[in-house]
Amino acid sequence: MKRILAFVLGFGLAANALGQGLRNMEVVVIVKATNSQFWQYVLEGAKRAGESLGIRVTPQGAAEEADIAGQIAILENAITRRPAAIVIAPTASKPLAAPIEKATKAGIPVVIIDSAGETNLYASFLATDNVAAGRLAADMLAEAIRKKTGKVEGEVAILSSVPGVSSVELRNKGFLEGIKKYPGLKVVENRFANNDPARALSITLDYLSRYRNLVGIFANNNVMGSSAGRALEQRNIKKVALVAFDSDDQEVELLRKGFIDALIVQDPFMMGYAGVFYAVAARMGVRLPPYVDTGSLAVTADNYNSEEIQGLLNPSKRVVKPFLGPAR
Amino acid sequence: MTVFQKSPLVTVSALTLILSLALAVVAPPFITLDNLQNLMLQVSIGALFAFGVLFPILLGGIDLAVGSVGALAGVSVALLMTNGVPIGISVLLVLALGAFLGAVHGWATFRLGIPPFVVTLAGLQIYRGAALLLSGGTTIAGLPEAFNRFAVASFLGIPSLFWVTLLSLGACGFLLSKTRTGRYFYAVGSNPEAARRAGVDVARITYLAYALSAFFASLGGVLLASRLAIGTPTAAMGYELSAIAAAVVGGASLFGGRGSVLGTFFGALLFAIIRNGTNLMGIDPFWSMVAEGFLIALVVYADSLGRRRYAGLR
Repeated sequence: MKRILAFVLGFGLAANALGQGLRNMEVVVIVKATNSQFWQYVLEGAKRAGESLGIRVTPQGAAEEADIAGQIAILENAITRRPAAIVIAPTASKPLAAPIEKATKAGIPVVIIDSAGETNLYASFLATDNVAAGRLAADMLAEAIRKKTGKVEGEVAILSSVPGVSSVELRNKGFLEGIKKYPGLKVVENRFANNDPARALSITLDYLSRYRNLVGIFANNNVMGSSAGRALEQRNIKKVALVAFDSDDQEVELLRKGFIDALIVQDPFMMGYAGVFYAVAARMGVRLPPYVDTGSLAVTADNYNSEEIQGLLNPSKRVVKPFLGPAR
Repeated sequence: MTVFQKSPLVTVSALTLILSLALAVVAPPFITLDNLQNLMLQVSIGALFAFGVLFPILLGGIDLAVGSVGALAGVSVALLMTNGVPIGISVLLVLALGAFLGAVHGWATFRLGIPPFVVTLAGLQIYRGAALLLSGGTTIAGLPEAFNRFAVASFLGIPSLFWVTLLSLGACGFLLSKTRTGRYFYAVGSNPEAARRAGVDVARITYLAYALSAFFASLGGVLLASRLAIGTPTAAMGYELSAIAAAVVGGASLFGGRGSVLGTFFGALLFAIIRNGTNLMGIDPFWSMVAEGFLIALVVYADSLGRRRYAGLR
């Protein structure tokens, strides 16, 4: 994350001086779905980058995260507009590979964010190290279980969003790796809710009734987190620990009320912000690193009010400060 | 009856032309070869679902299961191919499965007397569930390259997916307007009892209509798997409503007896153009949904005006 900031701010200053060259540039930013707060944060970052650079940023996205064909169509149409560059968070890795390659072959640099595409014809890939984040989630869940029950023992269930999505698979992989450190915890099930809040809610309630010894739940994205937390709130259950990803308003509210124990927060604002800067750099011929980790942090009721966390949780209030290192 | 069919066709094809001209002016990238090829790609699969669903609609029935049949087809063909079954055989088996499921719908609605809405609504749930079960809730990747290449290939500048649509358009059009069986669809749709007394085998027509619907849904599902290069149980969600909308905008009446394949094709094309246009102009895609909704209401209203005038009603 810090390496991006250094690069980005340095470039931003230079770009401002060159001002004129960028004036008519357009960068198309395609997110997975416009209906989610996570993606709204990405677009907020992208918009801020556009304002800093004085270029046009066009936000696009399908209506739902499961609409793969819809995103393919949006990308194909974006290519036709011949923008300066494209920033995209692929809904699924394999289906979007061919269209991304088509864009690159048409001379449009593509910066991929958040989830991988199954190709290497792109300018750079900015994402959270989801395996590390999954491991962090396992640690936070074990810690929360220990705080609630005094020991690290019992059954644990996973609530997943959409199958076949690289970020989800990597988080689960990291979580399963991390949970091995706690031999007293047994992962009993992993169910997919297709990113549907209603379905996630009923799956959580099912988990609660089926597993008598359930001590913890891991919800691997924002929609899953909100729904699982809501289920616990409805039943007023605080003895089951819940660790979720991202920080939608409902999730933060549930954290404050004590139904969610920790939120693993990514930096979607930076994905959009740096994504656009990198895209412009690629357009201007700058060679970029293949992968940049945008980082993740655990937010609990304890560290919630720190300035760093508040900036992550409220992108519109985020003040982008100059990056001072150390470089990673 | 042919004149009634011409009127909605005129409406929908005129609208398509007007919208295209407007877009050509407002968003010049619209008429580039690149974009036209994209448009062909984007309309091809939806149009196949729409052709299929037209047949039950002509009978005054409906098929809500087409999206789920498509997903099941995509998952099935992916499973067969990744387990070593040759591409050709996998596709044929899955198409046959589609036709079979359709025939079951026809049987349930004709022999058991269950309303088509209910039968196919059940189908929608059952096949989606089956797709999820077969795939284990996850996507099936690793499909043969030759299969994936089909959706990207083109012949004479026209994407192969669109060739399939054109061939289907021709075949269905021929069936409906130039064969006796085709005329029987309209007969049964207008007045099943009269058709029966005139000697039409209503059972056969019903089975055929639903079989064709599920067949085209299967075909659409297989082609979608090629376009996505994966078999996924969440594919084709909501496609049934888009298919029905396309048929209706193209002049089909939900009461049966009216509609045409060409009109249905233009209906599907109109929706695809709206979506393509909103993408090109950078307009919020949600406006596209609103526009599509208004379109349905507008076209159906315009058709009803034309019909009333012709039939001498005031």
